[in-house]
Amino acid sequence: MASAGVILVVLAAAFFGAHTEKVIVATTTSTSDAGLMDYLKPYFEAQYGASLSWLSLGSGQAFAVASRGDADVLLVHDREREEQFVSSGYGTLKVTVFYNDFVIVGPIGDPAKASSHDVKICLGRIASAGKSGNALFVSRGDDSGTHSLEKRLWSSLGIEDYENSNWYISAGSGMAATLRLAGEIGAYTIADRATFFSLKGSMGSALKLEVVCEGDTALLNPYSVVLLNSSRHPQIREDLALDFLLFISSHVGQQLIGSYTVSGQRVFFPIYGSTQSIGLPPEDEVVAIVEALRSQGSGE
Amino acid sequence: MEGIGIFLEGISKAFGLILSSDPEILRITVLSLEVSMVATLVGAALGMPLGFLISSRSFHGRSLVVAIINTFMGVPPVVVGLVVYLLLSSSGPLGFLRILYTPQAMILAQALLTFPVVCGLTISSILALDPSLKETLKSLSAPRLWEAAILLKEIRVGLITALIAAFGAAISEVGAIMMVGGNILGYTRALTTAIMLYTNTGEFALAIALGIILLILSFAVNLTLTIIQMKYRKRR
Amino acid sequence: MAHVALRSVRKSYSEKEILKGISMDIQRGELISIVGPSGSGKTTLLRIIDGLVPPDSGEIRIDGNRLTKENAPTIRARVGMVFQKPLLFDASVYDNVALSLKFRGVPNDLIRKKVEEALDLVKLKDLAKRNALTLSGGEAQRVALARTLVYDPDLILLDEPTANLDPANVQIIERALTKANVEMKTVVLVTHNIFQARRIAKRVALLLDGAVIEIQDTESFFNRPLDPRTRLFIDGDLVY
Repeated sequence: MASAGVILVVLAAAFFGAHTEKVIVATTTSTSDAGLMDYLKPYFEAQYGASLSWLSLGSGQAFAVASRGDADVLLVHDREREEQFVSSGYGTLKVTVFYNDFVIVGPIGDPAKASSHDVKICLGRIASAGKSGNALFVSRGDDSGTHSLEKRLWSSLGIEDYENSNWYISAGSGMAATLRLAGEIGAYTIADRATFFSLKGSMGSALKLEVVCEGDTALLNPYSVVLLNSSRHPQIREDLALDFLLFISSHVGQQLIGSYTVSGQRVFFPIYGSTQSIGLPPEDEVVAIVEALRSQGSGE
Repeated sequence: MEGIGIFLEGISKAFGLILSSDPEILRITVLSLEVSMVATLVGAALGMPLGFLISSRSFHGRSLVVAIINTFMGVPPVVVGLVVYLLLSSSGPLGFLRILYTPQAMILAQALLTFPVVCGLTISSILALDPSLKETLKSLSAPRLWEAAILLKEIRVGLITALIAAFGAAISEVGAIMMVGGNILGYTRALTTAIMLYTNTGEFALAIALGIILLILSFAVNLTLTIIQMKYRKRR
Repeated sequence: MAHVALRSVRKSYSEKEILKGISMDIQRGELISIVGPSGSGKTTLLRIIDGLVPPDSGEIRIDGNRLTKENAPTIRARVGMVFQKPLLFDASVYDNVALSLKFRGVPNDLIRKKVEEALDLVKLKDLAKRNALTLSGGEAQRVALARTLVYDPDLILLDEPTANLDPANVQIIERALTKANVEMKTVVLVTHNIFQARRIAKRVALLLDGAVIEIQDTESFFNRPLDPRTRLFIDGDLVY
């Protein structure tokens, strides 16, 4: 009986956990799969004394989870949805903090001769080779940030009917799974640099894909931190969410992000306060608010 | 409150989808049913005879073999998926088959899941038989094939249970078919992988709706098998 | 030559010696009853004669042929065994009886004739179509006897076939056995019912604690037993 009691206490303690303060970030698979969150965790925890945990979700699910009050802060990369999220009152502030870039990859040897510095030319060649039966394109097809970017690129090319085409495959899968699928069937796809190179690093020549387009500004992918509206969900740890934003946007945080590498490649680039450098509208107003919050915090 | 709302929405969406007979949903549903049924039959075609052989002969290490099979009854689908993926991958030993990311690969993966379930339950059904049944057959000089036929008839209720359990394991798993099927729209997307996709995209009500369709489907198959089981149950 | 000859047959199960060197001859065409209290080794002895379990030592000869693991299936084809608790198959009474013939590859028209005869013998013709699992204990035991008699074994082994049966069923079974014996079949009837042994057996053996204590013709066994324990057993005074 006594030992049963002890076990019960131990189980209860395990279940309810130690009472360290914890901030939960709802983020996309791209940041956690690339190892960025693991990399930042000890630095954040040392500085703020709160534990950092995150949910690695599809973009759509990240927004859904955040709107239900099941996370404290968002770290995502879908500008359109971010704006909607804030304007509909779920979020209070959205700050662009870093970007990564996407690459178009395809079968070794580039059979569709799609290689170009201009992503529009590259995708156009893939589409026309696809129409003549000489190329395949695999889409994430999962409503993720990457999928949104891909759809924007097709429509900027004026290609609309792709979803029902034979050369277009909707995988409904995460980035790594989509890349493996493309590699197996000899198809082109779009991928974030971090996932592609980390997969290439782990699979080596078994991943039969190479980069055919990179560096175009249309392939740059900005990430934002979005603070949530705590009046909807009072249990949200607003203070810790702000700490997370201040950490990411701080000089130290930005430097950490910029120096992080995957398979020897830098994959995330700090952009807080200088969004115009990659062709995005300036965020002076937002930056002013963040800095005011920062000085308030340090003044206390 | 909001959670309940999503359930209600999911339920009404489920019936809406069934009534509208949306071609994509229909295709997803049919594929799920096809893959899991064929996988169950393949698993049964291999698992029943093997289970029969293992349980009707005594040999050294039999307990070990049975324990291994029982362990594999609980193997995580994602592990099976990974193994099949590695086998079928173009750089894998069976890559020449070129069936990765096809329904055949999904059947193969699920058959590896159903096989130990059927085999293990066949073994336990036979071991649960009255030992004097075998002795009676021996005493009456039953030839091996006759003996097998009679033992199988005696355990038919157990065999149907094995089919129910195997089909349940197949239709409900997502890890294996996600990995080897690829969740390709219009080709290898099944109910469970679609549910996972819609969960990832935050379309919870649609995911619930597909979950309800899955349950209805599963219920229909189980009801059929259970009716057969009841009809054939022993009058002993 | 004896139909069944046992020489120094021993058998132990997990250290306990069940049969302590049994030697006896059973002649062709005789109806012998083996009696004895529960646990005396009667069932084990029958199972050894049917080749279902091998003895630890000693030998069994059937028609002069030594019973081995290899020839047991061949020899057993001419031997019938009726267990105390009959195990029937989930099929009709007719099919249960027919099965023994199907096992032996008997042609169908002959099966029909033989099964009808066998069912007639145990008075079960009317129940031919019933599922065997719905029968009463007595009816089930009669089916078990019929499926043994149907293939005309030379040697019929019975292990307490009428235990817990009502007199009507007992009578049907005993008559069928007597008839089989009249047809020169050897019958070995294990029973703890001394009245049954006295009614139908020509010879009686008393098995006690794994050894044959006494073996005599029925009249002498009951009236002039040689061993004092036999007298005690007959009178129900054997404290065991």
